[in-house]
Amino acid sequence: MITLEFHDPSGAIEVKQPHAPRVAGLAGKRVGFVSNDQWQAYRMLPRLKALLEADFPSIEVLAVDAFPQGNGVIGSEETAALVKASGVDAVIIGNAA
Amino acid sequence: MTRADFVGVMTNAVAGLGLAPDAAMVTFPIEMFLPGSDIGPLDARRREIYDGLTRWRSAFDRAGDGAPPRLRVEGTSAEDALARFNHLMLINRWGDGLPLWPPTEERVNWILRGAAQSGERRLGTFPPRGGVTTVKSCAIALAMAGGRPEYLPVLVAAVEAFLDPESGSEALQAASGSAFPVVIVNGPIGPRIRLNAGFGCLGPDPQRPAGASIGRALRLLQQNLGGALPGIGTMANYGGLRYTNLVFAEDEASLPAGWPPHGSDRHGFAPGADSVSLAFANGATNIRRRGARKETPEEDALQGMHRMADFMRVPNMAGLAGYEHGTPGIIMIPGVVAQTMAGLGWTKASMREFFWEHSRIPLADLRRAGGPAWIEIDTSKVARESLALDPWPITARPENFVIVVAGGGHPTNSYWLQGYSPGVVGRPVALPVEFDRLIAEAERDLGPPAP
Repeated sequence: MITLEFHDPSGAIEVKQPHAPRVAGLAGKRVGFVSNDQWQAYRMLPRLKALLEADFPSIEVLAVDAFPQGNGVIGSEETAALVKASGVDAVIIGNAA
Repeated sequence: MTRADFVGVMTNAVAGLGLAPDAAMVTFPIEMFLPGSDIGPLDARRREIYDGLTRWRSAFDRAGDGAPPRLRVEGTSAEDALARFNHLMLINRWGDGLPLWPPTEERVNWILRGAAQSGERRLGTFPPRGGVTTVKSCAIALAMAGGRPEYLPVLVAAVEAFLDPESGSEALQAASGSAFPVVIVNGPIGPRIRLNAGFGCLGPDPQRPAGASIGRALRLLQQNLGGALPGIGTMANYGGLRYTNLVFAEDEASLPAGWPPHGSDRHGFAPGADSVSLAFANGATNIRRRGARKETPEEDALQGMHRMADFMRVPNMAGLAGYEHGTPGIIMIPGVVAQTMAGLGWTKASMREFFWEHSRIPLADLRRAGGPAWIEIDTSKVARESLALDPWPITARPENFVIVVAGGGHPTNSYWLQGYSPGVVGRPVALPVEFDRLIAEAERDLGPPAP
């Protein structure tokens, strides 16, 4: 038999931080959207806001455009700081990409 | 909320941020994200979204990750083992469909003789997946791609340029626009490692094979460390020229007197210094540059310039990514054309001015093609404000055009690599102490270089 031993070409990944903890429930919580403003976000995210408000009467859902929108800005540190400063308990990111 | 086919893109993105490579996602088929779609499924599946905010848990509960273990295959013969190795590469989605060399310890150590630094030197993390990238990672990819140690300095410099955020590689790795990296090499290292600058410099050439394996190794890194797997981690509709990307040298021997090499012109490297310059393109077009009948030299030159500018004058909305700081594209002209143009008084700078002026698009044409909407949403203020200009310039300034002297010594054609390049990033190439020995060994192995 011939044996070939070789390196794994996929290398290593570093996990530096855990994902954010989940909220216990949505009642009474403050929820925001971070939107790329594409792929029907203008229809889907307002619809989701309406659904959340109907299903959880005590919830506060920020406007879809409460934070900067667009692929070029939603991943920035500035947007992250705005999200953090807003005091939201959870964020939904959309849409499609 | 994302598309079902974007799960890989999303997991790469979160992994690249240092999070575990998964996320709370609710996916829908692409049809729901298209104009006029039925968004009723959103109502039906809203509980999944609520669960993502309240109940989801990462499947990866362990922080940190060391180097992966070695792999092995067994075969009844050397050929059988090699076949099994190649099968394993495809099964694990680590190959490109063409045969690969096993990155054994022996072969990787041979490649590492071309390293100017320790193999463990960290170059960064490869976007978007975030695979830890070292000189040794490059050596592993180059070994798989059929490379040689004397190619490693160019690959390492190209990877350094790729990992520079200015290159825009993080977004382009995943984007649908089929961007591919273009690596232009300047300095004596090009001809020394048999990197093509002449006939067929963007294609296969057994006489000058370096570009194929350097570019292929870069692609393997993009895929295996960066996660750019077609339809999973990279959503490029077409992915053209991605087997080997494009890696070539400028034909510095044919540069007219007074014309700076690209590395000096764009990045300020000293003439004669070994360097790489990395940009992204999303198209490649041959242009019949030469006149057909009885043109004077001046007419031939001017008509050729107009013909090249006409090829540039297109609504390449992807090119907006480099409107301010990148490039609208790379124009390649053969040395014999450069010499003629220089004899008529043209310089790289005056050619750029000409291209900038004559590639402008009348606003009415741009409106007809829906171009303003893309420009209005661009993140660059300079790009957005360019809509006030009519005709609309395809890039913010003439200096953004890249002109490289390369290609076979024949005056008929030039070549346009259409840009999709937020930046053009240069890096010096560092050589190992024993580089001369590696070149001698290449001559031993491959025979004397072609003239």
